[in-house]
Amino acid sequence: MAEFLQPDSRRCSYFFLYDGSKVRGEGDPTRDGICYFYPEETPLDKQELLCGQLAGVARCVSELSSSPVRTLRLRRIKFSIHMKDDFLWALGCSMDVPTVSVCELLDQLISLFCFYSGPVRHSYQLNSQRTLAERWARYLSHLQLGSSALHHIFSSLRTIDSTNVDPLLLLKAALILQACQRCPLVLAGCILFRGRVVSTQMTPELTMKIMVYESETYSRAQRPNGPSSSGSSGGSVSSTNVFLTPSELQCLQSAPVDKDHRYSRRFLRYLKTRLSRTLSDTPSSESDPSDPNSPPVFSPAPSVSSSDSPRPSSRSPPFSNGQASHEAEGEPLDRSYYHSFHSNGDGAAGDSGPERRSPLNGGGRTGAGAGGTGAEWRDGDRTPPPPPPGASETSREEPLVPMTLYMHRVKGLVLALLVEPPFLNDTASMEEVYHSSLASLNGLEAHLRTISPGAPGGRGPYVFAHFDLIQRTLTSNLSGRAGGAPEHSFVRATSLLHSHFCNTETLQEAIIRSAGEAVYGTRSVAQETYFQQHGVLLRNSGIPNHQDSAFSLPAKARSRLLKHGVNLL
Amino acid sequence: MKCFLITSEQSEVLFYWTDQEFQQNIQEKYGASQEEGHGLPAFEDSISTQFAPIIISFSTVLEQHSDNYTCFTTENNHTYVLHQFDECLYIAVNGDGEEKEDDLRRKIYVMKKMTEVLFGMVTLSGTLLKKELRPQDTEQRARLWTRLQGLLETYSSLRENDQSFLVEAVERLIHPTLCEQCIEFLERRLVQQLNSSVERAGEEVLHAFILVHTKLLAFYSSRNASTLTTSDLLALIIMVQNMYPSNVDLDDQSAEVRNADNCSTTQAQRDAESTSGSGPESFYTPEPSSSDGNSSSSGGSSGSESAGLLSMAEDPLHTLDASPPDPSTPRRVFLEVSLRDGLYPMMPHSMYCLPLWPGITLVLLTKIPTNAVAMSVYKFLEAFAKLEKRLSEIQGSSAASRGQQTIHEIRSKLDKFVKALGQSEIQLQNAWSEFKSKAFGRGGPGFTTDLIPCCNNMKTQLCGVYRQCFLAESGPSDISRRLSPGLQERAQTMVQEKLVDWKEFLLVKMRRVVVYLDPDYLTYLDDFPGLVHFICVDRSTGRMIAPSLNISERTTSELGKGPVAQFIKSKVWSLVRTTRSYLQKGHSTVTLRDGDFYFCYFLWFENETGYKLEAGDIPVLPDDSAPIGMLAWDYYRKLLRYYSKNHQGEAVKCYELLTVHLGVIPSEIILQHCRQLASKLWEPSRNPLL
Repeated sequence: MAEFLQPDSRRCSYFFLYDGSKVRGEGDPTRDGICYFYPEETPLDKQELLCGQLAGVARCVSELSSSPVRTLRLRRIKFSIHMKDDFLWALGCSMDVPTVSVCELLDQLISLFCFYSGPVRHSYQLNSQRTLAERWARYLSHLQLGSSALHHIFSSLRTIDSTNVDPLLLLKAALILQACQRCPLVLAGCILFRGRVVSTQMTPELTMKIMVYESETYSRAQRPNGPSSSGSSGGSVSSTNVFLTPSELQCLQSAPVDKDHRYSRRFLRYLKTRLSRTLSDTPSSESDPSDPNSPPVFSPAPSVSSSDSPRPSSRSPPFSNGQASHEAEGEPLDRSYYHSFHSNGDGAAGDSGPERRSPLNGGGRTGAGAGGTGAEWRDGDRTPPPPPPGASETSREEPLVPMTLYMHRVKGLVLALLVEPPFLNDTASMEEVYHSSLASLNGLEAHLRTISPGAPGGRGPYVFAHFDLIQRTLTSNLSGRAGGAPEHSFVRATSLLHSHFCNTETLQEAIIRSAGEAVYGTRSVAQETYFQQHGVLLRNSGIPNHQDSAFSLPAKARSRLLKHGVNLL
Repeated sequence: MKCFLITSEQSEVLFYWTDQEFQQNIQEKYGASQEEGHGLPAFEDSISTQFAPIIISFSTVLEQHSDNYTCFTTENNHTYVLHQFDECLYIAVNGDGEEKEDDLRRKIYVMKKMTEVLFGMVTLSGTLLKKELRPQDTEQRARLWTRLQGLLETYSSLRENDQSFLVEAVERLIHPTLCEQCIEFLERRLVQQLNSSVERAGEEVLHAFILVHTKLLAFYSSRNASTLTTSDLLALIIMVQNMYPSNVDLDDQSAEVRNADNCSTTQAQRDAESTSGSGPESFYTPEPSSSDGNSSSSGGSSGSESAGLLSMAEDPLHTLDASPPDPSTPRRVFLEVSLRDGLYPMMPHSMYCLPLWPGITLVLLTKIPTNAVAMSVYKFLEAFAKLEKRLSEIQGSSAASRGQQTIHEIRSKLDKFVKALGQSEIQLQNAWSEFKSKAFGRGGPGFTTDLIPCCNNMKTQLCGVYRQCFLAESGPSDISRRLSPGLQERAQTMVQEKLVDWKEFLLVKMRRVVVYLDPDYLTYLDDFPGLVHFICVDRSTGRMIAPSLNISERTTSELGKGPVAQFIKSKVWSLVRTTRSYLQKGHSTVTLRDGDFYFCYFLWFENETGYKLEAGDIPVLPDDSAPIGMLAWDYYRKLLRYYSKNHQGEAVKCYELLTVHLGVIPSEIILQHCRQLASKLWEPSRNPLL
C-alpha cells in the first residue's frame, strides 16, 4: 500500500467550541463564550464573528425546527454542527469534502475529547481553557495527520500492510493480546507498530482513539530530553485515564472471552447498576448507596478479587476512581503515571509493598474521602460542585465510564490495553502482564522492524480505492503525491459516489462517466470499492452503446482487484 | 411542514407561503414567547420575528465574511435553503422530507422566475420590487400574495406529479394528424382572423397554443414573432394551470367525491371502463369539474386539495377571492424576445386564456402597441448597468472612458425619450439632468465612482417608468387597449367548434400516453421486455416524451396502478434528482443498480443531421449553483453554448434519455434497449414531434 501523505492538505479550515451559557446577557461579549477556536491565530474579531453568527443562526434554526442543527453551509465552506446543552461545536471544511465525512469528523473529534477528558462541561469546570485548548489542537492535528484526499472522504484506520507481513506474526500479536486478557482487569487491547495497527481486539473507533495516545507518547519518547525518555532497554510503560461510553463498554464485554473467569462479581454488579440507571434511573437494590461502608464502585474489595491476581490488601484503596479521574483530567498526558519498571529496579518487582506503588500514584491517595466520593457519585443527587464525571450529565447524555489505558512500548511497537482502573494499583497483575508479554513483544518488534516498507502495491493502468466498513480500513493504489488530473477526478467521483451510497441504502453499484473517464463504484454491507481504468476509454459520443468500455468496468474491477486482496465476486 | 419566504434585508416580509403545519408551528413558537392576554398578532409579523435572526445574520456574514449561508439542515431532517437575489432574500424550508435541498433551491429560482414574468424589469430595481411585492394597501397586498401563493402551490403540485415539470420540458400530445390540423387551423384561420380584425385594438397575436392539461396539443407562432423560450412556456403553463386547475389525479379525486354525492352507478361504469380499457379506443371522460368551468374560484389553488398542500383556512388572505375581476382581462406577462439586434428579456405581452372545456385551454399571446418603450428602457438600463459596473470594478481612465462611450451613444436617444415622455415622468427628467450635469458638466465629478449613485438613480427611475407603462393598475382607458371581449369569444367558439369531436379523445389521451414506437401501435412494453419506464428529452427544443405515470387507483397505465406505480414514480423522481447532481459535477452518463431496478441516464449531442457528436467536457458547477433545468434558469442553453464553442457553424442538439429497467435484465440488453430508444424516439419518420 502506498503512503499517501500530503502534508499541506488540511481538511479542516475552522473548528470551534462555543459555550452559549457564558453569553446570556445583552452586554456579554461573544469572546467569553469561545472555549476553543482553530486556527488559533485567527484574529479575535473574526472568531467572534463566526462564533456569534453561527451560534445565533444555529439556535434560531433549532428553535424553529425543534431539533439541533446538523449542518450549516455557506458558499465556500460547510460546517458540521453539534449542539448539546449550551455547547456548540462547529467544524468547517472546504466544499469538496462530502458533507457526511465532515459530520463524521466532528463526531470523531468530540468523542476523542470525551474519551480522554470525560464529559465536556465537567472538564471545563476542572481545567483551564488553555490546557483543554492544547488537547483540542492535539486531537485535531492527529485527525488530520496523514490525510490525503481519499482520507478526507473515508476516515480510516491505518493498519500495517497485511499482504506484506508473515501471517504468523499477526497470529503472534493476537496471542499476546489474548494472553494479556488472562488478567481479569484487562478488558481488551491492541498492538500498534509505528502508528499502524498490527492487531486489535476493539472496534475500529476505539482503536482510533487509542492511537492518539500512542502517537503522543511516541513523540514524547523521541524527544531527547523528554521526561519520559526511557532507559536503555527501550521498554517503557505508561498509562492514562480514559472514559468509555456504555455502548463501547458493552461492546468490549461482549468480546468472546471467558467472562466468568475475568470479571469480579462486584464489577459485574457495578455494571448492572450503571446500566439500569442509564435505562430507567432506578437504583439497583444490590448496591445500597446509603450504606456508608459500601466500598467505592471501582475499588474491588480484596475479598472478592479473583484468586489468580493477588492485590494490595489495603481496605480503602489508595487510588479511588473519583480522585483518579480528577487527576487525570488535570493533565492526563503530561502526568500520566508514567514510569518504567526498569528504572525502579528489577529487584523490587515481586514486592507489592506500598512504597512500590508510590511512583504510580503520585499524590492521589485520600482513603476515606475517596470512598465518600464514590458513594456520592453513584448517588447522583447529592453531587458536590464540581460534579464528578458521569453524574454531571447523567440526565442529558450517556454517562461515561472511567477506565484506564495502559501502554507498553518496545521501540516502535506498542501494546495498548484498556484496563479497569484498579489495575494500576495491582502491582502483581501489572507485572504479570508486563513480564508475560515482554519477550513476545520484543520478538515481534524485531520481526516487524526487518520487514521492508514494501514496494507500493502493483500499480497498473488503473486506480482503485477499497474501504472496509467493518474494519474501517482503506486500501488504494493511489499515490497522493502525484496528484495528477486523472487522480483528482477519481477522488472527486469517489466522493460523489460515497455520498450517494451513504444517502441511498438500496444503491448497490454505479458507473458514472464524464467525457474523459468513467468510475465504477460498488458497495455491499461490508465494503465500498471504487475503480477507474486509465487510458483505454476512447472518446465517445455519450449515446448509449453496449460496446462502450465504460460498461465493462465491473468485470475489469473484479479481475484486476483480486491481486490486491479485494474480492468483488 | 413547508414554508417559503421572501424578505428584505431588514427582515420585512415581502411574501410568504406556509402549509398549515408550519403555520401552527410558528404560532406556537410565537405564542410561547408572548405574554398572555395579547391575542395572536398577524401571522406575517410572527413569521418575520421568528426568522429575523437568520435574516440579520445572513447580511452580517455577507458583509463581514463576504460569504453567505446557502443551506441548513437539522437532525430531524429539516432543510432550509437560502438565496439572495439583489436586495431580496428567499428562504425555503421543508420539514416533512418531501422536498430535498435541490427541490427547495429550484422552488426559489422558480419563484424568482415567476416574479420576472409578472413584474418584468421592475425586478431589476430592488427598491421598486420590494414595493411591488408588498403593496401598502393591505387588501391589495392580500390579493397579490394569494395569487403568488396559488402560483407556488400550483408549481409545487406540478413538480410533484407531472413528468414534464419534473424534467422541465414541454410534453406534447402525440397524434400527428390532429396536431397538424390544429396548427394549420391556428395559423390559417384563427391568428389570421384575429390579426386582421379591427377589434384587436393595436394588439398583435404572436403565439397561439392549445393546452390539454399541461400538454401541448398545438403551438403556432406568427412569422414575425421571436421564438417563445421553453422557460417562458413552462411558466405560462403554470399560470394557466393556476387559473384553470386540471390536475389529472385531482380530477380523479374530485370525481370520486362527486360520485359519492350523486350516484354510484357512474362510478361503477367508470371503473369498468378504466379497467377494461387498454387501447386508445377506450374512453375515459371526466365530468366538468364544476358547472361554471370558467371561474377559477372553485379551485383557486389546485394544491389546496392535493396531499401535503393545504390552504390556510385561518388566514385572512384566503378569504379573499383570487379570481380576476373580469375573465376577458388579459394578464400582463413579461417574456423574452430575441430579435436580430439582440436579446430583450422581460418584454411586455398580454396573455389571454380562453378555456374551451375543463382541462383544455386556448392561450393567445399578443404584442402590445407600446412594446417599443420597453425595448428602449431595456437598452438604457443595460447601458447604465454597464457603466456602473465599469465604474465600480476598475479604477482607471481607460475604464471610465469606455463607460463614457456607452453613455455618449445613448445620450441623444435618451434625451429624445425623456422629451417624448414629457411632464408625466418628471422624476426621470430630473434624474437625467442631474446625471448629465455630474457626468458632463464642468464642475461635476465626471466619470468616477462618485457617479455611481446617479447611475443607480437613473436605473431606478427607468424601472419606474417601465412600471408606470406596463404594470400600473389598468384605468378605464386601458379597456380599449386589448382584444375586445367579442373577439375573444369568437376565437373561443371557433376553436371549440374545431375540436368538439376530439374533446373526449384528448382528455383520455392526456391520461394514457402510450408511446407508439411502431406503426403497428405496439407499446414499448412489448418492444422492450424488462423496460419499466423511460423519459426522453430534446433539450434543444425543450420537448419531452414519456409514457404516462398514473398513480391513482382509478386509472391504469402500463405500470399498473396504485402502490406499485407510486413506488416507481418515487424512484423516477429520485433518479432525476440524482442524475442532475451528477450532471452538475460533470458526469453525463450514469448507470445505477438500485434495489430491484437498473437505472440509466445518458446525455449526448448531435448535429442537425443526427450525427452523434463526440462527448465534450461538461462544466463542474458549485453545490449552490442554479438548479439544472429549463424553467427557472436554462442550464441546457448554457451547456449548448459552451459545447458549441468547439463546433462553430454547426447547429448542435442535445438529448437526454432516462430509463428504468428491472434489475434482472443483463446490462448488455439494457444498453441495447437504451440505444434503440435513443435512435427510434427521435427518428423523423416515426416521430410525430419533428
